[in-house]
Amino acid sequence: MRRHHWIVRLTHWVNVIALGVMITSGLRIFNAYPGFARPGGTFCCYPFEGKAIPAIVTFGGWLAGARHWHFAMMWLLVANGLLYLGYVYLRGGWRDLVPRRGDVRDVWAMVRFYLFLEREHPRQGKHNAMQRGAYFAMPWIAALTVMSGLAIWKPVQLAPLTDALGGYQWARYWHFCSMLALVVLAAGHVFMVVSVDPWSLRSMITGGWSERFSPEVRNARPFVNLWPRAATMAAPSAVTGNATPDHAPSAPETHP
Amino acid sequence: MKFSRRDFLSAAGLSAAALVLGACDSEGPKRAAGLLADAERVNRKVERSLFRHTSMDHAPRGAAASGDSFPSYFVSDEVPVWDTAAMGAWRLEVGGMVRTPLSLSLDDLMRLERRTQRVNHYCVEGWTAVAEWSGVPVHVLAELAGVDPAAKVVDFESFDDAYHESWDLESVLHPQTLVAYAKDGKMLTPAYGAPARIHSPVKLGYKNTKYLTRIRFIAEPNGGYWSDRGYEWYGGL
Repeated sequence: MRRHHWIVRLTHWVNVIALGVMITSGLRIFNAYPGFARPGGTFCCYPFEGKAIPAIVTFGGWLAGARHWHFAMMWLLVANGLLYLGYVYLRGGWRDLVPRRGDVRDVWAMVRFYLFLEREHPRQGKHNAMQRGAYFAMPWIAALTVMSGLAIWKPVQLAPLTDALGGYQWARYWHFCSMLALVVLAAGHVFMVVSVDPWSLRSMITGGWSERFSPEVRNARPFVNLWPRAATMAAPSAVTGNATPDHAPSAPETHP
Repeated sequence: MKFSRRDFLSAAGLSAAALVLGACDSEGPKRAAGLLADAERVNRKVERSLFRHTSMDHAPRGAAASGDSFPSYFVSDEVPVWDTAAMGAWRLEVGGMVRTPLSLSLDDLMRLERRTQRVNHYCVEGWTAVAEWSGVPVHVLAELAGVDPAAKVVDFESFDDAYHESWDLESVLHPQTLVAYAKDGKMLTPAYGAPARIHSPVKLGYKNTKYLTRIRFIAEPNGGYWSDRGYEWYGGL
């Protein structure tokens, strides 16, 4: 069974590279003046004013080097993001990603399951409610990062945009904060892939997927039930006992 | 610039390598230099196409002038001060591809059309500072000198060692690009580029030559102090 179309797989991994270079080179740029206050002034909302980001997470070597990487990679990041969003929009994949009624309850159910307060994995479609929330938030936060980035790249020529974000200082702050939000989401994503669904790497690389390996069928929590249940154990009743047809893991995309 | 599949794959490969090998503040693989230079050329085209003389900067409402907290720098060993005894009275030369070269004293400059503007100063490092600058818009000097239509670039030279920066003509002629001689209502002090300097919110701080001596209209970009050291030549905002 196929789970992710090649466009989704390609844009996912290109995004890993582009976003990685954008974040690390951006942190190197930030280190040239690691704060938001004007010289001699103060800024309300940043507790680490003047403290540089550790060099180990920066890229570019020096301010100008990092700027060259940042202003080159931004085109790849945006083009890649638009390709992904265009595909997801045109092929209907967005239906698996948008919030649904009852999502708050379903997120709570996932949290309870992960905390061993429930025995059985909540029923889900292609993604669980927490995943949907994260995958839905990512493009919106990224859009804020891109807009605030444009606002500090061209604060005079795009003055209305910069003003809408509260001026240059605040636009720079939103650029930084939205980047942090992306880092937190990506870190959570990587943690969940490693601890709950390493099998998803296969579907994000080759596209291949089988139900037997899904977290729902494995009843997987972080570092629990990483291996699929033995084939003989996976009697249909055990697998689909709590599933109804409309959301059974038949959600995987099929492609010509 | 044509971007082939080969370029794309090579860019992706290089970026991946950059990411894996290149953290820890490296500059990335040497082979990427050409691609980065291509991207800079593309960016320059995009930035020039966005550029409008009607897009104006204004300091944020309520922001206090930075005053003496306004950082200042120079590249000489000591603050450059014009030595009248050794070098004669300071004059600003306007020349190159012009009909009428000009040689202006500070008094001459102050008699010309004056513009006073409260704007941001955008440093490449990421900070901004607010000041009220007064001076002559460079487009006024260009009109007085009569610029050859073949001139596309302007080089701003200084007496701070070999400091200079050349600009695209349209940024030079932006109404907010000044030969500034006063800051916050007082004549410039040596720290801020006395007797006169370029100040414009449409270019990053390093493009704004202080300790100005000569404005030279030329045909081709002539680099600049920081542009020759790896910073973007365009440096526009």
